[in-house]
Amino acid sequence: MSAGEPLLSAEGLRKAFGPTPALEDAAIAIAAGEVVAVMGPSGSGKSTLLHCLAGIVRPDAGRVLYRGRDLTACGDAELSALRRSEFGFVFQFGQLVPELSCLENVALPLRLDGAGRRDAERRARAWLERLEVAELAAKTPGQVSGGQGQRVAVARALATEPRVLFADEPTGALDSLNGEHVMQLLSAAAHDSGAAVVLVTHEPRVAAWSDREVVVRDGRTRTTALAGA
Amino acid sequence: MSAAPGRGRRSGTGAGSGGRAVQRAGAALRELALGARLAVGGGRGSWTRLLLTALGVGLGVALLLVAASVPRMVDARDQRTAARSDQLLEQAPPRAGARTLLIADVDTEFRDVEVRGRLVRAEGARAPVPPGLDRLPRAGELFASPALARLLRSERGRVLRERLPQPIAATIGERGLAGPAELAFYLGSGRLTGPEHGGRARRLDRFGDAAAGAGLDPVLRTLAVVVLTALLLPVAVFIAAAVRFGGEARDRRLAALRLLGADRRMTRRVAAGEALAAALLGLVVGGLLFLLVRALVERVELWRLSVFAADVTPSLPLAVAVVVGVPAAAVLVTLVALRGVVVEPLGLVRRAQPRRRRLWWRLALPVAGFALLLPMAGGGREASDGAGEAQLAVGVVLVLTGVAALLPWAVEAVVLRLGGGGVAWQLATRRLQLDSGASARVVSGIAVAVAGAIALQTTFSAVEADYVRDGGGSRGVVDVWQTRAADAPGREAARLAAALRGRPGVGAVAAVEQLQAVRGRDSDAVRVAGCDLIRRQLRVARCADGDSFLLAGASRLRPGARVRLDGEVAWTIPADARVVRPRARDRDPRAGAVVAMPDPVVVTPGALAGARLRSTTVLASVRLDGAADDAIDRVRNAVWRVDPFAGVLELGGRDYGRQYANLRRALFAGAVAVLALIGASMLVGALEQLRERRRPLAVLGAFGTPRAAVARALLWQTAIPVALGLTLAVAAGAGLGALLLRMVGEPVGFDLGSVAGFAAAGGAVVLLVTAGTLPALHRTMRPESLRAE
Repeated sequence: MSAGEPLLSAEGLRKAFGPTPALEDAAIAIAAGEVVAVMGPSGSGKSTLLHCLAGIVRPDAGRVLYRGRDLTACGDAELSALRRSEFGFVFQFGQLVPELSCLENVALPLRLDGAGRRDAERRARAWLERLEVAELAAKTPGQVSGGQGQRVAVARALATEPRVLFADEPTGALDSLNGEHVMQLLSAAAHDSGAAVVLVTHEPRVAAWSDREVVVRDGRTRTTALAGA
Repeated sequence: MSAAPGRGRRSGTGAGSGGRAVQRAGAALRELALGARLAVGGGRGSWTRLLLTALGVGLGVALLLVAASVPRMVDARDQRTAARSDQLLEQAPPRAGARTLLIADVDTEFRDVEVRGRLVRAEGARAPVPPGLDRLPRAGELFASPALARLLRSERGRVLRERLPQPIAATIGERGLAGPAELAFYLGSGRLTGPEHGGRARRLDRFGDAAAGAGLDPVLRTLAVVVLTALLLPVAVFIAAAVRFGGEARDRRLAALRLLGADRRMTRRVAAGEALAAALLGLVVGGLLFLLVRALVERVELWRLSVFAADVTPSLPLAVAVVVGVPAAAVLVTLVALRGVVVEPLGLVRRAQPRRRRLWWRLALPVAGFALLLPMAGGGREASDGAGEAQLAVGVVLVLTGVAALLPWAVEAVVLRLGGGGVAWQLATRRLQLDSGASARVVSGIAVAVAGAIALQTTFSAVEADYVRDGGGSRGVVDVWQTRAADAPGREAARLAAALRGRPGVGAVAAVEQLQAVRGRDSDAVRVAGCDLIRRQLRVARCADGDSFLLAGASRLRPGARVRLDGEVAWTIPADARVVRPRARDRDPRAGAVVAMPDPVVVTPGALAGARLRSTTVLASVRLDGAADDAIDRVRNAVWRVDPFAGVLELGGRDYGRQYANLRRALFAGAVAVLALIGASMLVGALEQLRERRRPLAVLGAFGTPRAAVARALLWQTAIPVALGLTLAVAAGAGLGALLLRMVGEPVGFDLGSVAGFAAAGGAVVLLVTAGTLPALHRTMRPESLRAE
């Protein structure tokens, strides 16, 4: 990847689920360390765009390039390894493994990436502290509130120090105060670790944490504004 | 939804307490009905859960209905065998007349299967006809059971056809048979004579004078009680597990109802309604499965027993117990399960603070069971009768129930101490620490079945070995005996030997005649044999026809003693009879009665020249010609041709050996069937768990978790409870087996082969359950499945 090239980009993306088109010639480019909010009404295709960019869903047409590598040409094992080591994910709800403690949840991707248990848990504890939920380490997801669980999920997403963090409605299940707090911690942690963030949301309040907004409507993308520009 | 409680109270104003009770009952019924509607009306997911539960309950119900049919099966069989009985209980047989029939037993065997045979000849026009026949066969006509008819027509029955070459004129109906697979025939004979002419036939004027039915050996009966107990308890465990399928989804539905204003009591009734609907559907499924079993039952033969479909009819009280008991148990299990769940109105279902399982009452069960069984140990085989059987059954039930009750405690105690390990191990142990109850309850079924099976296999091995020691295995020799009107002494033996020699399947033949010499209270067998045989068996310097010998130390009779032969004919043991010793020879009874058991008095035919004998018993030991296929059946054919009344005994106690081998095979098959049944319920439970956890699993898949890691977690999750269950089962089974061995008077020893077999079967269940979950896991963990969320 040469200087000036985007870290992650997509062009000509098409994806349909049965007869329903989700993406129609969508395109996006994200630079390293950039926070991009993908906005749009419900059903506009913004989650599908995120899934295509993360290699979760294979587009029917078009290309997704990550550091010059075409993800649409990669196999499942390759994509899994990429998601494990280079990407991080935060979803709206139900993402923590219920039987593991919060500490074990955060340590899980590190262990899957080959770290030893002790090392993984040490690093996980540091991320919990950073996300201000260190006291939850021994609790299971069922014993913590929605906001706390979401911060644990952010800690887990960033624990492997990914280059790209995908967040799909990360505050969708939280009240405004908790949502604000989570976004604050998420953007600060991502900024500190130099990770790019793809933030899917339909809330302008959440999008305000981004550097730039991309609007998806009827499966087509449109860059509307540069935050702070 | 039923009327709100408040509304119910208002409408009851002014009514008496009776009216309120009626209203409360009405409300309860409406809530039960709502539960049933939720069970069937919740879309595909609800239907799937309902059908899985119904299938599980149905399998259990079908097994229970079959078990409830056992008394009727036994009764019907006994009634038929009694009705066809041709043994007269009266002292004086009827006189020959228009209503009498001559009948003689000519039972035989084919490939170790008994063939019931009767020769018949009507003495008058109104001679009795045995059940299952329209008329008596005429001379030379063969009436065969359907199974025998099929066998005789098949290639497999070619050798038997040489014994029964007559055309089959009719088949014996169901009323005349013990079971559909019974081999039986009536053969018309024109030469049959009654006892007044020295014939072998009995005279009858009716059938069914005596109760028949040999029944099982007492030891076998004892073990059968344990078999039934060991196999039915897991069915109960399985039904309880099946009722809990879909429990988590149900809890969510109940939470939604709480939000709408249902109180805890109402939610319990709604849950009971759901369980009731599933159990009722399970009864229908079970009824259909039972009918299927009934339709196929005539094709199955177990322990040489077969049953007619019509006999597989549950006894009314037991059937009512199943029909009422299963739904009641389903509701009870559901309500007990709900005790551990707090259903909150805000749509949140939270596990109640889990209480540590208590050990004391779980331990009390097997302790009480062993306490009941211990006094019976050392009681010998008589421990298996009457009250002893009840004590045994209760003791075994308590021990096995104790295994089922101890397992959840053991699993909880062990998994709480488990830690470390890789990601898969961690996922599995954490899951089990969060809720080990579901797995442990299901595995309890395996543990009960395996504990019972190991106990029985241990006992069977020892008892079987004992019977084999008693009787031994076959050494390729059969004994043939026949009773004949006496000719010159020794001539009948020579005739039989000559008739058998050279026939297919027949090797060396040694034949003697045998008489009983009685003097006062002393009695000894007298063997009439040729000098060739005498020289081989006794230490005699010389032997000539007319010589007599007494075995040293074997007989109280002395040379010159006057005796009565067969109680009738006076004879004096020759004064010159020599006292001799037997040669050091094979004393093993399996070598044949002629070879291994020389009689105390041995005479050459000439020594009996003056005795006017009326009948004689011919005894021949025949070595099988191993080169011939079906050698023993060819010997039977040869003997049959000489004398159909002659007996043929294969030496070696194989009857018991076969019974035990069959019991062991059936037991292993039963236990494996239970393992498969429980495995199926574990698979359903695992699939349900995958469905419940599809969101976190999809997320795990999204962030790149290898499916193999989660698959290994599922494997551990199944393997840990199964391994603990098997360990507990082996311990309890070995203990129970030791007690049972003491009861039947056997030294304690363990059948490690069966333990290994069950461990392997348990391992196979774990692997199969895990393999069965893999496709669903694959689907659930596809990152694309995030979209479905």
